[in-house]
Amino acid sequence: MSAAFARIREPLLWFAGLLLLWELVVRVFALPTFVLPAPSNFLMRVVNEYPRFVTHGLITTRLIIYGFVAGAVPGLILAYLIANSRRCEMLLYPLVVFIQGLPKITLAPMMLVWFGYADFPKILLTALITFFPVLVDSVAGFKAADRRLFYLSRSMNASWFQTFRYIELPAAAPAIFSGFKTTIVIAVTVVIVVEWMNSNNGLGYIVLRAMDNKDTPLIFATLVVASAIGVALSYAMASLEKLLLPWRRK
Amino acid sequence: MTTGASIVARGITKVYGSDSSAYHALGPIDLDIKPGEFVSLIGPSGCGKSTTLLLASGLEPVTQGSIEVDGKPLTKPITEVGIVFQDHLLLDFRTAMKNVMLQQEIRGLDKSVIQARAESLFERLNLKGAENRYPWQLSGGMRQRVSIARALVHDPSMLLMDEPFGALDAISRTQIRHDLEMLWLDTRKTVLFITHSIDEAVGLSDRVLVMSKGPGTIVEEIKIDLPRPRPAHLGEYPEFTKYANRIYSIFEKLGVYKFK
Repeated sequence: MSAAFARIREPLLWFAGLLLLWELVVRVFALPTFVLPAPSNFLMRVVNEYPRFVTHGLITTRLIIYGFVAGAVPGLILAYLIANSRRCEMLLYPLVVFIQGLPKITLAPMMLVWFGYADFPKILLTALITFFPVLVDSVAGFKAADRRLFYLSRSMNASWFQTFRYIELPAAAPAIFSGFKTTIVIAVTVVIVVEWMNSNNGLGYIVLRAMDNKDTPLIFATLVVASAIGVALSYAMASLEKLLLPWRRK
Repeated sequence: MTTGASIVARGITKVYGSDSSAYHALGPIDLDIKPGEFVSLIGPSGCGKSTTLLLASGLEPVTQGSIEVDGKPLTKPITEVGIVFQDHLLLDFRTAMKNVMLQQEIRGLDKSVIQARAESLFERLNLKGAENRYPWQLSGGMRQRVSIARALVHDPSMLLMDEPFGALDAISRTQIRHDLEMLWLDTRKTVLFITHSIDEAVGLSDRVLVMSKGPGTIVEEIKIDLPRPRPAHLGEYPEFTKYANRIYSIFEKLGVYKFK
């Protein structure tokens, strides 16, 4: 515990120092709260209005997780196909690379048109956006397995599923998790943006209301809560990785 | 215990690809490998040594020709086989023992029988204490010992080794060469052993097949008639030097070496 604390002590001090500087700048130059609220201001909002943040934060977190899973699972399956079949690769990969480059977030208003105010369009767009980075990292992971390992599994008369379970999946797992860890953070942003356009609850909705009311501190307070969710989710992902892949060096 | 298999190949060739991009890697070559024989393939890079190994085990199909293992035509990969590659190819997410026990899990063999055999192999190969370590926690020599154990634990009739000691230092090589020879003397598996090292070929084999490239063919067959087990310092046999010199001179004739 103390060793872990020693490691994060310095970054924490830096972080506290920056907040202090921010507070000083706001006070010394007497900046209007509307332009830039002081940390003391919006942090107190988080504390004082925590029931609201818990309610809406949970709604947003649920969408993040659903959207991520809905994107990651097909991403993994397609990655396996692309890595193992020349035909799939030739047919699908150019399309994947093309769509990956598109700013799919611009489809958010269309989701409203097509599906209205509901969870489904939010989950769908989050899935659509998380699908691609997971796919690309997982393809790299599945392709990283040494070809000669397949000679080995063939010499053992391994079935398709045994080769997958004993050799391919564990070999690809580190790359897959590295994709998961970056993607889950992207999912946080996506859900909040989607909630801006298409919601009557969730953290994005709070931001929207705050803008209507010119309540700048509330925007920053929501940012704090959203960051906390992002950190918690990527920490959870890292813990899951440690649990499932105990052989990794660090 | 399963004894060695015989391998008979007639006119086998391997062409990779087709049309204009086709690459004629090997052959035609013949092989006559007796049960329990230790045969080395030596030659410059790209002479089709590894291809020969893959064809002889059915892991890659031949383009032309036919192969019989123990008198039966080879039509699919044989499973009565253990393979050791130059880099250990251990699964880095399994401990040393679990890497060896992969054979049992995938083949669905009796766990207690294979476990006992694995333990005795760990002892024979000086791997005691390494059972629960992951590959990255082992030295290069120990990793290669683990992959030898993995190749033998299911008691195959054939052992295929593709430059198994290529990445090891000279001292580890000498020791592991001896340990392999002692294991082989006890089990008499048929061994096909690929190497770039004349010392290893002469030090281990009953027979050395010298290959040349473009496309790969067998240019000479040398029977090594030296007592076993062979010593650490092979130079103490004058005959050893004779065999080694003969391979050197074949290499020179083939233009493998271009010394000025």
